[in-house]
Amino acid sequence: MKGARKELRSVSFRREREAQWQELDALVERALKKGLGTLSEGELRRLPVLYRAALSSLSVARRTAMDRALVDYLESLAARAFLAVYGSRKSTRGAVRRALFEEFPRRVRALAGEVALSTAMVALGAVVAWALMQVDVGWYDAFVAPQLAGGRDPHASTEMLRGALYGEGGQMDSGMLSVFASSLFVHNAGIGMMCFALGFAVGIPTLILLFTNGLMLGAFLSLYADRGLLYELCGWLLPHGIPEIGAVILCGAAGLHMGRSMLVPGRRTVPEAIGDAGRRASMVVLGSVVLFAIAGLIEGLFRQLVTDDTLRYAFAAFNAIWFFGWLLLAGRERTTVERPVPLPEGSKA
Amino acid sequence: MSAAAETATLPKGVLEVVGPEGVPLRFETASVAERFVAYLFDLFLVALTGIILYIGGVLATAVSGLGEPLALVIALAWLVWKFYYIGFEMWWQGATPGKRLLGLKVVSADGSGLTLDGIVARNLMRDLEVFLPLTILLAPQQVLGDAPWWLALPAGGWILVMLGLPFFSREHTRAGDLVGGTRVVRVPKTALRRDEAVRHSLPPDAPVVDAWTFSRQQLSFYGEHELETLAALLRDAQGGKARPEDLQVVAHTIARKIGFRGSAPNEDPRRFLRAFYEQQRAHLERQLLFGKRKASKLDQ
Repeated sequence: MKGARKELRSVSFRREREAQWQELDALVERALKKGLGTLSEGELRRLPVLYRAALSSLSVARRTAMDRALVDYLESLAARAFLAVYGSRKSTRGAVRRALFEEFPRRVRALAGEVALSTAMVALGAVVAWALMQVDVGWYDAFVAPQLAGGRDPHASTEMLRGALYGEGGQMDSGMLSVFASSLFVHNAGIGMMCFALGFAVGIPTLILLFTNGLMLGAFLSLYADRGLLYELCGWLLPHGIPEIGAVILCGAAGLHMGRSMLVPGRRTVPEAIGDAGRRASMVVLGSVVLFAIAGLIEGLFRQLVTDDTLRYAFAAFNAIWFFGWLLLAGRERTTVERPVPLPEGSKA
Repeated sequence: MSAAAETATLPKGVLEVVGPEGVPLRFETASVAERFVAYLFDLFLVALTGIILYIGGVLATAVSGLGEPLALVIALAWLVWKFYYIGFEMWWQGATPGKRLLGLKVVSADGSGLTLDGIVARNLMRDLEVFLPLTILLAPQQVLGDAPWWLALPAGGWILVMLGLPFFSREHTRAGDLVGGTRVVRVPKTALRRDEAVRHSLPPDAPVVDAWTFSRQQLSFYGEHELETLAALLRDAQGGKARPEDLQVVAHTIARKIGFRGSAPNEDPRRFLRAFYEQQRAHLERQLLFGKRKASKLDQ
């Protein structure tokens, strides 16, 4: 029997939409090759519209079309368009400011428990080192690596220890100081990042790293306290120590957060839990890198140039104010006072 | 949930992403080899930048006699090393130059957009994954220090697990991908092929006239798989890549299987096959509307 019949449904489906698909294909091609920035305002508005149209075409084709060529093409077109539309967005203005002054302090506050544990670990290390040093000064070498001590050990004279605090014995010029400052920043920020990354081993190496940092701190404090130089040491330590030790503690807390998510994933799968925790914690590490940079500048420049104890303490107080203000106060939602809605006249409460 | 059940049956190396629109999309995940090559390329660029910076810094210091240029270079080189990946993956939509070279992209596994925190997290793990194992291999003293020797066992075991992760996980996930909630996929590219059911010689609005009509009975023998094979053959014939004898053999086989009587398969196998393809497809698509899918002729 011969006779005219209607065109295949999938054929007309393709014919009606093919131009739109090609348009999307061209936009996506450019967005992926040359970046979203090369698209004009109008094209940028058109992209998500075309993307959604392609998605609905794909859904229909998957259910109704028997042409593999068509379905394969739509699968790949939709996936490419997804990459262009949901790849990282171009930064809007103020992205850095938001990350540092809203995201970072907020995430730190959300990690309060981990920050407490991290602080406790450093403090425990310091107390242990202090206590052991009271029993036997020889423990010092076990806690502080000789290359870090730079001669500041129990064998050194009190005069030498004091001199180290005020930059005596080998005064450095400003050029050397700046090299020193940036090396310190690089070294410390690297340690901070490692503190976070090691959280991947269920947080155990992070705990150890925090503890050994505490040991070093305690040994130092004990050594100087024995010579009656505790006040002077703190004046030397605190200005840069507040951001620096604070940043180490924060990076440690970030690592512990990740470790905790592996042990207690809750209702999520472990990979999901790690992903959530890692993303939350990463912003804390990013903010800490800024703290390390500030600490490096203070350590390399201010500390060597200002040798007056009172000035040092004043600067330490100033640092404590902005440091805690930033972490505790910045990025809080402004609380809006809700006024009770007055009841309409005559209604009964 | 059905989405979870479907994911469980995905083959290795396939990532299913459900975007905010709710339509699941499939990507091929990048192989370990591809990612390694991309990584080496990026590492080369980072090292090159670092070397250039250092040469510039040392020269500037030597000429000016000041320490500041060197200080700047130390900090800058470190920032390049640490933020090269973060920066490019952020501004280049999930691709570093190495990834772009190999056609790879970072996506977030849960289908939401790629965000800064995910990118930072995945890249903070890099040194742990690459340089810590290297250091332990080459200079274990530096990492373990005076720690007791047996501590090397759990540490080494853990590192092996981490290094093995991309090889054994279904989506070639490295530790950083887990932490950032990201995956690395190939950018797909498929051209739209010719539709063999369209009569390209006719204007689109012309009524379709079948040279032969097949009965329901005859059309219910084959399934999707055979239809696709036939489409491929017709495409080849169009491109002049199929031999006439092959067309004849296929036409004969089909005629015999479905019980078609007539001389058409002999006289003009290609036209016969096209007519069969069109009607077979129309039949299968109609069945699909009723929710019946026939994957192949073996599918009852």
